[in-house]
Amino acid sequence: MLLFTPHPPLRGTLSLQERDSFQTFFSKSMKTLFLTLSLICFAGLAMSQPQLQWFQAGGGVELPKELTFANAGGRLGILNADGPVSTKGHPFFEPLGINGRACVTCHQPANAMSVAVSTIRERWLATNGKDPLFAAIDGSDNPSLPQDRETSHSLLLNRGLFRVGLPWPPAQNSNPEFTIEIVRDPTGVNRDSAWGLKSAKPTVSVFRRPRPVANLKYVLAPDNGPFNVKLGVLLDKDPATNKPVSMNMMADARVTTLATQADSAYRDHQEGKGQLRQDQLNRIIAFESQVYTAQVFDNGAKNLTEAGGPGGLGPLNLLRETAGVLNSPAKPVFLTFDAWKGSTEFRQSVARGNEIFLNRTFWVKDVAHINSIGLGNPAKRSCAVCHNAVMSGMDRAPGWVDLGTTNYPTWTEPKTWNEPGELPVFKLTCRSEAKPHPYLGRVIYTSDPGRALITGKCADIGAITMGQFRGLAARAPYFSNGSAKNLRELVDYYDRRFDMGLTTQEKEDLINFLGVL
Amino acid sequence: MSRTRGLLVVILLGTAQLHAQNLSFVTCPIVRDTKTTPCWLAEYKGETYYLGNQGGVAQDFYPPQLNHEVLVEGIVAAGPRVCGGIPLRPVKTSVFLEINRACSTILPAEDTIEAPQSPPRPAIGEAVSWVRSDGPADRTLYFDFDSDFLSLHTSTAVQSMAEYFQQSKASEIQIAAFRGASKLSNGEVLTEQRDIAAARAAKVRDILIGLGVPAAALKVQVVNEARTPDGINDLWSRKVMLSVKKP
Repeated sequence: MLLFTPHPPLRGTLSLQERDSFQTFFSKSMKTLFLTLSLICFAGLAMSQPQLQWFQAGGGVELPKELTFANAGGRLGILNADGPVSTKGHPFFEPLGINGRACVTCHQPANAMSVAVSTIRERWLATNGKDPLFAAIDGSDNPSLPQDRETSHSLLLNRGLFRVGLPWPPAQNSNPEFTIEIVRDPTGVNRDSAWGLKSAKPTVSVFRRPRPVANLKYVLAPDNGPFNVKLGVLLDKDPATNKPVSMNMMADARVTTLATQADSAYRDHQEGKGQLRQDQLNRIIAFESQVYTAQVFDNGAKNLTEAGGPGGLGPLNLLRETAGVLNSPAKPVFLTFDAWKGSTEFRQSVARGNEIFLNRTFWVKDVAHINSIGLGNPAKRSCAVCHNAVMSGMDRAPGWVDLGTTNYPTWTEPKTWNEPGELPVFKLTCRSEAKPHPYLGRVIYTSDPGRALITGKCADIGAITMGQFRGLAARAPYFSNGSAKNLRELVDYYDRRFDMGLTTQEKEDLINFLGVL
Repeated sequence: MSRTRGLLVVILLGTAQLHAQNLSFVTCPIVRDTKTTPCWLAEYKGETYYLGNQGGVAQDFYPPQLNHEVLVEGIVAAGPRVCGGIPLRPVKTSVFLEINRACSTILPAEDTIEAPQSPPRPAIGEAVSWVRSDGPADRTLYFDFDSDFLSLHTSTAVQSMAEYFQQSKASEIQIAAFRGASKLSNGEVLTEQRDIAAARAAKVRDILIGLGVPAAALKVQVVNEARTPDGINDLWSRKVMLSVKKP
């Protein structure tokens, strides 16, 4: 059943490109009239959008060039730069494996091409847990549990987390620098005889949020030059082109190109056999490379894409801007919000949030792959020093860092590892001859070893690649482990983690700023 | 007159030489907050020394890290105190791998202490302290103690060797990697871990191969025997020398 109704542009509104031409053509007075009309139209869209917005795998609906979706913060925009997408027979939208899922199942347009926990809950209610989204392989806490029970899918339903089963020892390093023990296994999967660490196919299961499949030119743009400047080694190369890749796409950078990601997702998430055909890969990559998403309307700031407004908002600006640009005074991460400094109270708050993000310094401390790469520990920096890529807020260099969300004692989980909790806890012990984790030493308790499960290196324990900042309002919860239910919890974590001393107003400004992106 | 001036220069140089004091010590680093950029300091025998400012990866000075001890090797520089400390120039700080939670001192900003302007970032490829060159066909890279980490500048220097190899249609790149030792000012000697020269050579070799230099064109020499440290030139003993050879 098709539950999603795409919205054609409302009569009287203009497409994003049309609006751009319009703005350069008409007078200021006409602009004022246009802005007023736009506000009315966006408000109308918000009211008319259906509650349940879901692309069913194989639904065959056409995805328009532009569409918007209501969310708690306002409205998200999707822009297909190459025009409408016919999803019938399209490998991104059709189930290719055996479990009924398609790529779109976990990368929903309404959720900024990720999937929000609110949507996941709606799907559970709508299908009584029968939607392929809840496939046992990774949509449940443990494939061995009875799959018809809500409790068997608690991490997906409560935190939007999918199981990621990774081989042990790591595929890239058969002689890892650390041993791994299971300390807490609330889902039972890591001790499971069929799926766990001691199974015939030894596997470590961690639980992570799906990343947005949009705005990918920013995600995939490699740093200047061939080097990973954080490690002083070469960046990985795209096997198809032999050119350096950004290594910023996955939480653990285990695959680095759209082709290898699609192929591995086909096997891991759709339970497909063999490999995708080249024509299927080509179509998936072509679609993923042209889709942009960002919030276009905010309940407080109103129209985010109006003429004369901040130049970094909305999907059309994401299409226009150049990827791979580093934050600078001339080109701040999300461009400027100067236009809003004398505007409404809410818009002023957003502009202040942007200033805090760019310029309010605090002691960044004990973050592996930030403090340990030559910046000093601690380093008095602002958010934008690490979140430095223009338009995405990612790191231009490979962005896996141990922010602290997954490692004790700064993790987001219950205070100590022997308290009951939702996530597994592992004890990692670094071998005496290995370089230890720079700030946690040789014995580390973690709910997700992150990049270390790929490289086998102690220095990578808990390192997770930072994600893009766009469409946040449409895809809660946040952090790779889904621990921040909303933007307030996300800001609160940073405030605690780095003793930022943010005032209530500063927090509000940051939340408002993040919400319009 | 000119003879007098020449004599003066000789005397001044002699005085400078006389006053050039090499210091080498292991300590907890100290970070001092300021109104602008934090400064990094280290104490030795009751005196405070200025190491450098917080900077970026394009800077020559990579600051140390709290929670870790640091090996400081430098020369006491003339001139006024900087950020409350006697400046060491050049100075190399090598962060020890193991954690020491006692290294946790952050000094608050004080009105009377200001950070100096950070030096301009050296351009990529420009000669900097930790890369030396006598011409386009050679580079010598200097490393932190017990480290095979290539900074932005040292890795870029390796890249320049790969490019020169390809442009000049050379036949070989010689890689000579060395293990070092450091004589501290208190007489103690620290020697790098046994396999560090091999690790440095392997890292440089992998990069060159990754940049398109055929493995067969790389001639690697690993010098595991650390030279006898003198407390003066030790920081220049931890190195990899690259030399492009034409047929």
